[in-house]
Amino acid sequence: MFKNKKLLAMFTVFMMLFTLLAGCAAEAPADVPEEEPAVEETEEKVVITIAAGAVGQELELTKEAAAIYNEANEGVEVRVLDTPDLAQDRLGLYLQFFEARSAEVDVYQIDVIWPGDLAEHFVDLNQYGAASVVNDHFPAIVENNTVDGKLVAIPWFTDAGLLYYRTDLLEKYDRQPPTTWDELEETAKIIQDGERVEGNQDFVGYVWQGNSYEGLTCNALEWIASNDGGTIISPDQEITINNQNAVEIIEKAAGWIGTISPRGVTGMAEEDARAIWQGGNAAFMRNWPYAYSLSNEDDSAVKGVFDVSALPAGNSGAGAATLGGWQLAVSKYSENPEIAADVALFMASYEMQKMRAIKGSFNPTIKALYEDPEVLEASPFFGSLYDVFINAVARPSTATAPNYNSVSTAFFRSVHGVLTGDSGAADALEELELDLEDLTGF
Amino acid sequence: MIETKKKAPLVSRSKRSDLAKREESLAYKLLIPTIIILLLIAIYPLGQVFVTSFTDRQFASGQETSFVGFENYRRLLSITIKELPPALDEETGDVKIDSDTGKVVYERPIQILPREPYRYREYKQFNFLGNRYVLGATDPDFIDAIRNTVTFTVISVFLELALGLGIALVVNSHFKGRGAIRASMLIPWAVITVVSARMWEWMLASNRVGFFNTLLYYLGLGDGQIAFLASSNLQLAAMVAVDVWKTTPFMALLLLAGLQTIPNELYEAGDIDGAGKIRQFITITLPLLKPAMAVALVFRTLDALRVFDVFQVLLGQSKYSMASYNYFQLIGNRNMGLASAIGVVIFLIIFVFAISYIKMLGVDSDEA
Repeated sequence: MFKNKKLLAMFTVFMMLFTLLAGCAAEAPADVPEEEPAVEETEEKVVITIAAGAVGQELELTKEAAAIYNEANEGVEVRVLDTPDLAQDRLGLYLQFFEARSAEVDVYQIDVIWPGDLAEHFVDLNQYGAASVVNDHFPAIVENNTVDGKLVAIPWFTDAGLLYYRTDLLEKYDRQPPTTWDELEETAKIIQDGERVEGNQDFVGYVWQGNSYEGLTCNALEWIASNDGGTIISPDQEITINNQNAVEIIEKAAGWIGTISPRGVTGMAEEDARAIWQGGNAAFMRNWPYAYSLSNEDDSAVKGVFDVSALPAGNSGAGAATLGGWQLAVSKYSENPEIAADVALFMASYEMQKMRAIKGSFNPTIKALYEDPEVLEASPFFGSLYDVFINAVARPSTATAPNYNSVSTAFFRSVHGVLTGDSGAADALEELELDLEDLTGF
Repeated sequence: MIETKKKAPLVSRSKRSDLAKREESLAYKLLIPTIIILLLIAIYPLGQVFVTSFTDRQFASGQETSFVGFENYRRLLSITIKELPPALDEETGDVKIDSDTGKVVYERPIQILPREPYRYREYKQFNFLGNRYVLGATDPDFIDAIRNTVTFTVISVFLELALGLGIALVVNSHFKGRGAIRASMLIPWAVITVVSARMWEWMLASNRVGFFNTLLYYLGLGDGQIAFLASSNLQLAAMVAVDVWKTTPFMALLLLAGLQTIPNELYEAGDIDGAGKIRQFITITLPLLKPAMAVALVFRTLDALRVFDVFQVLLGQSKYSMASYNYFQLIGNRNMGLASAIGVVIFLIIFVFAISYIKMLGVDSDEA
């Protein structure tokens, strides 16, 4: 009697366990947004869904463009799917759509580092009418988006890391905008100390993106490239990260934490940094161009008292900006690839990029827009920093495809370890070099 | 309860009545639909995870999959301990001494740890009997994830049990507005974890925007810049805090149910016999609450070992739990084979916990 009951009880517990594990394995993504209930299906419209970002004004502007398209095209309804802010999470969501070969999303907004990894899931846009417009865009990005002769994505907006600085505070403390990291350190320290003495205990010198994620790869790549330390892995597939210049500049950055940058910077992404900056509590910020128009809005404490410049220089004598930016790609699993491609090309067209540049300071990928007077009036730095945008340093995504994500994760985790004081820069990079050899086989 | 088993008369087993036998077989028949459903929804996917764990399958990729045997497991779980010899000065041949600390300098682990066939990375260094050792692992992140998860589970479940018991005792007593309190105490548990994790993210913010930094600052502790979620020695504590806040009500609810089954007469008899409240708690409440406590502990422990959402939302790639490391390998690195192996290892770890609970607490024993 006991024996049987015991068996039964054990069996029940094991069953519970199995269900738990199965739950683990089939865990639904926490971030998948609920699909909006289908409305007005009476007219049998073709629904095209765009998976788009929502950082800053992104979502708003994408919806605006979608509305314009809907107005002009009777039979089509473009819907915008809101996706997670962190690129890594967004990639996770996309991969689940791809694994399921889902037709739910037709157009994907993809990061500049993904075309190599994801090419097999997208159509060749050149066959859907992109061939005639593609030459208007920045050639470096078009090349980046072309995999085995296939144009997997049309450039939508480009990004490059910029230094935001407070013109009023520089004037108050009689300083010039910094051109080297040493100057930045010095000026940030002076302003931070001064402002704290005057009573703003929450004031910090410099905020950037130090959380353990892709943004840290971008930040650290800028430090290293500006210090003549290479680009982690060179385009000809050589692992270059373990060098003295890289060690030196990462140690320097680790020294900022707790001095000119708050200790919490090792947990910050773009929006966390912007929140501090826009609240008027930072003298300098490293961020992408999207923060420019937001910082100039009425609710911003820094409206009209800031400017942007290229990032400071290290040993190389010139600052470096990581190439960022997003593209639009059409899913191979879409039910209406022709219409989806038309939507993607519309979104990336001259007019729409212009609208986004003026309203959201999103950098166009179309060369001619950098000479458009209306665009230049809204964001004057587009003209003055044109060289920064066109010379931005690419992350080693092409050289390492399809392993870029693992490479970048190994890199940012190892830099993060140095920033939080868990390891020394020299040891971390030596270890990283071996890790990268294992990962890539170079 | 194990004792009661031994005292059970052996006669009853051999002389079981026909009725009992028939009832028992009916019980098994009634279980059949459940078993079939479980086979379909649990055993099948589980089997698939097992099979995938022996392959190098890539997630969301057209790449061909091949069978790799136990390689994924070896990559995950291989550990080694090596002695670190003291570093010798190249010129004199003497043992190097750090000029600042006066301590012996040892060889660096990266030189000592094996690199073939898999590379071992440093996980920890420790001293034993005057020698210096390094613990190397092929996947220190996963070993760390296991450690984080187990630490998290032990601390958070213990705190939840202690606090939950306290709350249960309070709401079990008679006072005005008891119903309202019982209902409202469940609110934290009812909030979706991802949402409450975001809420805690704001409260734990690394400057005075955050509630905790502001509070501590006004109490004169810290400089208002404590990075709860970014500094590695505070991260686990923050996770425990979020989890305790969220699941203590659940624990309290399970214990409350147990408390209500204890007949009041026992306490009355205790009063008559002159037992104080503490004595009553130890000799009446605790023993009779044990079955409910066992169930609550099993539930919470198994649940805590699978913790995913809090770690994923608040810590991302900076510190992993077993489940968030699994997610990262599957989604981030697209190593479906390796991720499946992780799933199996998690399963086995939870299994061990479940078995030890059954043994320790006698969950399975017969109350009749």
